[in-house]
Amino acid sequence: MSGALETGLRLAERGRAALDGAGTLEKALRRFRWFYAGAEFCENLLPDAAWHEREVSFFLEKGASVCVLTPPLGEKGLKRLRPVFKRLASVFGRDPRAAGRVEVTVNDFGALELAAETGLKLPLSAGRLLYENMFFADRTKMAVINGEAVRLFRSLGVSRFEFSTTGRLLSNNFSEAAKYGFKPSDIALTLHYPYLNLTTARACAVGLPDIGPEDSVRGVACRRECQACSFEAGHPLVNEKLLVRGNTVFLKFPEKFYSDPATLLKRRINRLVYSPFL
Amino acid sequence: MKIVSCFMEEKEIAPLIEAGADELYTSVPGLPSFDETYLRGITIENAFKKIHALGKKALVAANSSQIVLDTRGLKKLADRLRALDAAGADAFIISSPSLLSLLRSSPRRLRADLHLSSVQPCFNTAALRFFLRFGIRRLILPTQLPALEAAEVLKFCRREGVETEIFDYRFFGCNYVNGRCNIHLPRFHTFKKGAKGGALCRCGGPRQALPVKPLGVNPERAGEVPAIARRLALRMGGGGAPRFYNAASFFDFFTLGVGWLKYGVRADPPAVKARKVGQLRAMADLAGALIKERGQRAARPLFIERMTAWRGA
Repeated sequence: MSGALETGLRLAERGRAALDGAGTLEKALRRFRWFYAGAEFCENLLPDAAWHEREVSFFLEKGASVCVLTPPLGEKGLKRLRPVFKRLASVFGRDPRAAGRVEVTVNDFGALELAAETGLKLPLSAGRLLYENMFFADRTKMAVINGEAVRLFRSLGVSRFEFSTTGRLLSNNFSEAAKYGFKPSDIALTLHYPYLNLTTARACAVGLPDIGPEDSVRGVACRRECQACSFEAGHPLVNEKLLVRGNTVFLKFPEKFYSDPATLLKRRINRLVYSPFL
Repeated sequence: MKIVSCFMEEKEIAPLIEAGADELYTSVPGLPSFDETYLRGITIENAFKKIHALGKKALVAANSSQIVLDTRGLKKLADRLRALDAAGADAFIISSPSLLSLLRSSPRRLRADLHLSSVQPCFNTAALRFFLRFGIRRLILPTQLPALEAAEVLKFCRREGVETEIFDYRFFGCNYVNGRCNIHLPRFHTFKKGAKGGALCRCGGPRQALPVKPLGVNPERAGEVPAIARRLALRMGGGGAPRFYNAASFFDFFTLGVGWLKYGVRADPPAVKARKVGQLRAMADLAGALIKERGQRAARPLFIERMTAWRGA
């Protein structure tokens, strides 16, 4: 893969507010090219359209690039996301500053549908909750599942995929691409480190009150308990420590996960996003 | 409400139908399935014949979302589906968008219906529109979508003539979005010696409070942390996230017009499967009878009371 390895910082739903503090923002702007802002795993944390416009404008003005993260969606999330996409389409769709510098990550096929419906022409990436429709991954490998998956995602305007790993150098099936019916050049990868999202719930383990047999809930009554803190959890069956942030359980992978940028680029990973446990 | 049940052996077919199953589904080698257990002791073609002779429909699960196949393998898979279609499969349960795409682009359309598996979670009407383009005729709702929140999806399905199906809340496992749950199996984490997957993400678990340690406490909300920690400790020891599905949600799904109720524990022994399918039939009949007798509003608390007293199949 030609070109340089790009670097990014995930700010999640806090956006640039996560960089409050003396000199933190300036340091981040110097160190990272891409800023990942928005809710990735939970629709209850989805900010409104004005917030998204402010965040994207801010980073563009600072000369940085922005990827807007979006979560899995229920009907409520879909209704919240529609004005966000409409605003992004109208404000940045024809803004020359946005060309190649604003992207959107989707974690729900409904968001892909919504992007088409709202005329959102910004580049789309499949997020960490969708990439398994394209790849099989485990501790040691990450293989494109089949050529039809590549064709389908390309037809939907998606050629970048976001993922995390346990930290090892992954093998892949790119050398057998012809046999699988795809071209490696049709794929670009974004690697989030150093946490891997193991599983996500809609019923939040941290925040949702207990549900009795007589309760038929309309959804998650969210009081944003995830903003109070995160947790480390030990499980008697599991060797690793699990980390819980709101509705998602993570695994930390502290091992050094690559030797140099060339190794990553060879695996079509051309963007490396530091995703601290915010 | 009709009942759809899994089956894994020939000897299960007649008892499951006798217990109330209106459709039977299984998985077969060569078709990648989410739950990697397969039909044994009878060919799928003969199973179709036997099920059809008893006046019921036969479905096949090919619902792995990660079908790792090269071009030749993918063609073989499509050919296998076509052969099963010709042999009498009434529907295929599928979760992989790439397989759906392959079938859509094929000049030879399947006679059998396509059901969207719950392991490809469809939580909203836009996602539903996406999948309907592939010719989906039934939506199997993910258990993480509660009944009242599913109302718009169900309305959309009715308008489009798409059937709907839910799992029985008493006999279903993963508490997370199970098609995307990577703690089902130790693909990334590792288990201690002798441990097996499931207890982390399924109802059951060790059922004891697990140690949890707060990290990065927000000083403005520090007062909430002890209560949140207690709640999380209990949940992490009992299978993880809380469950939306319960007696009340079943009643609401029933009154919202969901057409099919599924029993899908493929690993259960034959007698247990038949007993549980009988329990599905009894629950759906109870809801129907109470509504007929008392009206929907009065029936709801009675139904919940009766089902809360239920103590296992």
